[in-house]
Amino acid sequence: MSTDLLQARDLTIRGEGVTIAPFSCSLGPGDRLTLLGETGSGKSLIAQAIMGTLPKGLCAQGRLVIDGEAFDAADSTSRRALWGRRLALLPQEPWHALDPTMRAVSQVAESHRHVAGRDRRAAFQAAWSDLTELGLAEAGSKLPGELSGGMAQRVAFAAASAGGAPIVIADEPTKGLDAPRRDAVVELLARTPEAAGALLTITHDIDVARRLGGEVVILRQGQVVERGPAQQVLTDPQSEYGQRLLAAEPSRWPLPKPLGERQAPVISASGLAKTRGGRELFRDLSLTIVPGEIVGVVGPSGCGKSTLGDMLLGVTRADNGEIDRAQGHTLGFQKLYQDPPAAFSPHWRLSRLLDDLVRRHRLDRAAIPPLMARLGLDENLLGRRPGEISGGELQRFAILRVLLLEPCFLFADEPTSRLDPITQRQTLELLVELARERHCGVMLVSHDPALIERICDKRISLEATPSVAKRELDPVMA
Amino acid sequence: MNTLAMTPARRWMLPALSGRQRLGAALLVLLLAFAWLVPWLSDADPARQQLTRILQLPSLAEPLGTDHLGRSLLARLASAVQLSFGMALLSVVSAAVPGLVLGVIAGWRGGWLDRVLGSLADACLALPGLLLVLLLVAIAPGNFWALYVGISLVLWIEYFRVVRARTRILVTTPQLEASRLLGFGPLYLFRRHLWPELAPQVLTLAAFGAASAILAMAALGFVSVGLRPPTAELGLMMIELLPYYHEAPWAMAQPIVVLFVLVLSLNLLAGRDPR
Repeated sequence: MSTDLLQARDLTIRGEGVTIAPFSCSLGPGDRLTLLGETGSGKSLIAQAIMGTLPKGLCAQGRLVIDGEAFDAADSTSRRALWGRRLALLPQEPWHALDPTMRAVSQVAESHRHVAGRDRRAAFQAAWSDLTELGLAEAGSKLPGELSGGMAQRVAFAAASAGGAPIVIADEPTKGLDAPRRDAVVELLARTPEAAGALLTITHDIDVARRLGGEVVILRQGQVVERGPAQQVLTDPQSEYGQRLLAAEPSRWPLPKPLGERQAPVISASGLAKTRGGRELFRDLSLTIVPGEIVGVVGPSGCGKSTLGDMLLGVTRADNGEIDRAQGHTLGFQKLYQDPPAAFSPHWRLSRLLDDLVRRHRLDRAAIPPLMARLGLDENLLGRRPGEISGGELQRFAILRVLLLEPCFLFADEPTSRLDPITQRQTLELLVELARERHCGVMLVSHDPALIERICDKRISLEATPSVAKRELDPVMA
Repeated sequence: MNTLAMTPARRWMLPALSGRQRLGAALLVLLLAFAWLVPWLSDADPARQQLTRILQLPSLAEPLGTDHLGRSLLARLASAVQLSFGMALLSVVSAAVPGLVLGVIAGWRGGWLDRVLGSLADACLALPGLLLVLLLVAIAPGNFWALYVGISLVLWIEYFRVVRARTRILVTTPQLEASRLLGFGPLYLFRRHLWPELAPQVLTLAAFGAASAILAMAALGFVSVGLRPPTAELGLMMIELLPYYHEAPWAMAQPIVVLFVLVLSLNLLAGRDPR
């Protein structure tokens, strides 16, 4: 077909222990293709191979046809002339891709000027009109540090698409965004195919794939597991992996075991208030958590979810209010972090870190192997450093470390937001199970309301507005 | 990505050296070997004068020739390198240790302690470094300790500043918070979290600091306010041999070349390849 905008034939990537099996696709005007898969499935590498930005040590083979022009995938420099003009890449976590010292509008104008070749004045005019169209009129003169994640994403989109490229590749465009912002980004992406362009999206979020529609390819360990129209693949997958992936959606999770009788609370707070940066986060917030109970906290980014947990742990001070912690548990208040590697010093082997803990508190070593088996952690992992194992494994190691101290309250601050759906389900199921078993109250923060609804006994929802709504859900409400 | 970045074979604390760092280390090892092997293998005395054999060309008996007082240049150079290096090491250690300790305390505790220590550092920084050394030397002329105190007093501030800035960021990271919640004390936090992050920067500074200490000492010797003759010191040797540059250019070139190689090796060791 000569009308194809983007065509890849037998694209393979090799090197450094990575192999991506031959991958082919063709995208015409208005087509959308979504690559769905877990971390390490090689989905980002395919985008990088098309762009010609593969990391050192990896090489691509195969044929690419971009906008009617044929390229050899092995020659990574040949596509450079197309960047911005015919191929645009929307990077992961755009707040890292924007220049932190440059105002938003200048960054967009820069693309208009140097990629699209307009003069200075026209470039700025075009940049302002782009931003206005995306609802960012007042954000134009701000620095990226002053923008929210969703706004930064839109600015990056404006800058990437200023060159008028008909082919847009979006690499994990919704990573780290909460539900409403994620939907806004999806709408933004859908503009490209609507304007007769081609869109290639890489994501691990099934919901994003479903909303985008078009063709879906499920990847696993560099192999195409299943492909077909989104409608079909995402409702009735044929492959075993596809079914597992779909079952990992929070709304399809099995309900956790109901909480038994309510015991005396491990932590209770009343009249909590916190103001940060002159803005009131919450006021007069009261809560109690009993052993084994899972309390979910939802709310938009920056509404003080993490602050609330830190206050309960005693890491941050409350402006007002009282917190009562159960007596006799000095080390009983623990936390799980959003980004597992950030919670470990990267320089030491896990065995060393575990040893340190055992020696510090004279713990019983015999408790470790069964708990490790329970968490699905292999002995061999202990010989590695935090950066050398997957995020899911590291988070489970964090759970192991915390559980050895027999905590009575655990604050889990978006512990799975950086994990792919299957790992997320495994990790959270384990967490809930272990919390019930060991009578540990858990406060779980998530930006996914569906997830909270499914596994939590109680829900606290924080609003961006000063008023605080608190709603208690019936534990068995489906 | 992670598998590319690290290999299990890497031992902790022994940083992988880049090509130029390896060259610097090799040069330094050669120089130090020279400085310590020469007195061990030959019995030449750096202070013994032989006025009948002044400014001799290198020969089998005197591999590097003799100076204007007939002293063996080989022995003098070896002794000078020992002195310069020992002195550099001493001043680096005595600058790095207080700099590191105060920096960690200031960055960690913050508040008034940070402000007091910060002002102290600023006050020291406001004193021009070489002038401070000259002042101390004027108070106690020709003394080794005056040089040493002067040089390290100027040098500790940069360690303090770098360590304080890094520590301030590191203490707020989740990794420290996590370890603190797990019940670990400050010493553990320093050993497991702070030191591995600070070490590369402190060691880089130390190598640069050693080079500048050596240069400062040679400069003081050259303007005749440093150590007194007959000590073999690189700057002193230069100025002593300067009047004879016409008759014996090789003799004067030797301390210059040795100083150059010594400083170069330390700078190569300190410099990292740009990414």
